[in-house]
Amino acid sequence: MIKKEFKNNLKSFIIWSSVLIVMFVLVFAIYPFILTDETVESLDEMMKVFPPELLKTFNMDITSINTAYGWLKSEGFMFILLITGIYSSFLGINILLKEESDKTIEYLSFLPIKRCSILTKKIIVSLTYILGIALLIGVVNFIALTISGDFNRKEYLLLIISPIFPSIVLFSLNLLISTFLKSGKKSIGISLGIVFISYLLSMLSEVSEKVEGLKYLSVYTLADVRHIIEFTSISIPCIVISIILSIVFITFSYIRYNKKELV
Amino acid sequence: MSKLLEIKHLKKYYGKTCGIEDVTLSINEGEIYGFIGPNGAGKSTTIRTIIGLIKKNDGKIFYNGKELDMSDIKVKESIGYLPSEVNLYKEYTVKEMLDYHETFYKKNINKRRKELVKLLKLDELKRIEDLSLGNLKKVGIVLALMHEPKFLILDEPTSGLDPIMQSVLHDILIEEKNKGTTILYSSHVLSEVSNLCDTIGFIKNGVIIKEDSLVNIKNNSYTYLTITSAEVDKIKKDLGLKVKEENDNTIIFINNIDANTIIKKLSKYNIERLLIEEVSLEDLFSSFYK
Repeated sequence: MIKKEFKNNLKSFIIWSSVLIVMFVLVFAIYPFILTDETVESLDEMMKVFPPELLKTFNMDITSINTAYGWLKSEGFMFILLITGIYSSFLGINILLKEESDKTIEYLSFLPIKRCSILTKKIIVSLTYILGIALLIGVVNFIALTISGDFNRKEYLLLIISPIFPSIVLFSLNLLISTFLKSGKKSIGISLGIVFISYLLSMLSEVSEKVEGLKYLSVYTLADVRHIIEFTSISIPCIVISIILSIVFITFSYIRYNKKELV
Repeated sequence: MSKLLEIKHLKKYYGKTCGIEDVTLSINEGEIYGFIGPNGAGKSTTIRTIIGLIKKNDGKIFYNGKELDMSDIKVKESIGYLPSEVNLYKEYTVKEMLDYHETFYKKNINKRRKELVKLLKLDELKRIEDLSLGNLKKVGIVLALMHEPKFLILDEPTSGLDPIMQSVLHDILIEEKNKGTTILYSSHVLSEVSNLCDTIGFIKNGVIIKEDSLVNIKNNSYTYLTITSAEVDKIKKDLGLKVKEENDNTIIFINNIDANTIIKKLSKYNIERLLIEEVSLEDLFSSFYK
């Protein structure tokens, strides 16, 4: 069953990872040609015009985008967070619901295998692909950055690891939600909604101290990029919270799925 | 004969809509049980509740003397199930689908698979998505039977099959019965099961309205009594039976009185023609659902 699940989800893995890889390869390829002394100067001038809150939102207050690595730490990282988040959410919401939408659940649930075992196998495959996409992007960007110039390797490693935590939380949350849904019709909307609302809340929380509390409602707070850039270390509370949330969501998914009416 | 499956007062509601109201039935080991009812009567809901796809609201299901637990792998291994609508992995070929199915069973089930594929004339190289409804049904039949289950649940197994394949399936089921397999055969066509089944349960609006052996059902059912006489009006009053058809001096009654009593009662009349006919299973079936 695991083999079949890997095969079934390979296509979407290739598509999503290709989107990120193509984007980064293109950026890294053209960045050296864009960045002349003149453009760097005008870029710095432009940054001074932007309000500090906006710069903070993209981490541009603590990093400069006049290098490829600087771009990766600000805008590039935003794309990594969003795309791995959407990919993980789609995996979470569809991995069980697809069987119900395709009506293959009647066949699957009659095989001599327990429901919790079906769920375990699907979770193993999904987590492997989530780790896989992070690893693949990490390796591709590492090669591209090595070619294009010098960068802080420890900081880079931490940056590449950090999206894994919100991704796994998003996967688990969507998995739990899918156990309440009857069909896959609303699944894409729900998944995208969770990712974008979460990201929006995370961005808004950076804008003003008055709404700083919003960050506690966003899973993207768990990828504490500012902490990594400022201290070259990963935030332990974020890891702990990610693990706890994932365990809670997955545990409830098992409970719900065992009770769920499948047709 | 011991009971393999026993269902007591099974009830299932989808919100406020009734799926099944009160299903009570029992299936003896080694018999073929015909589960008959029109579309929407509750056959598939009963079956899906038995196999645990949907949760019952009330009632008990016993399998092999114990309360049925579909999370028990051994129980699942002992049951074969053919749904009314077969949905499989479209991206697979028939061979890949059957290979995949085999991986879930510890025992070697390849021999029976090959026999069934040959009997049903299945092309294993075809993709599932390219199969006709009938061929998809055949794959479903192989999947339900290849692990040689002790109990076989078939929900409308002949829908989509041509008459030749229906006959092949019936031969396979008789072979299975001879091996000791117990079969629950759900259908809305009584004639389809009347040659196969030992016991028949009729379901109407989610309630089992009659359950008996086929022999008893035939013996205890009514007959058609046709009388041709100039005194039909007097005979009608005297017998007090329900009239099926009336034409000039000929009248057809739906009769539930034994032949001796009828003959005694009719001896005082001048009868031109008297005919007592056994009612067909189709007519009997229709009478339950009027």
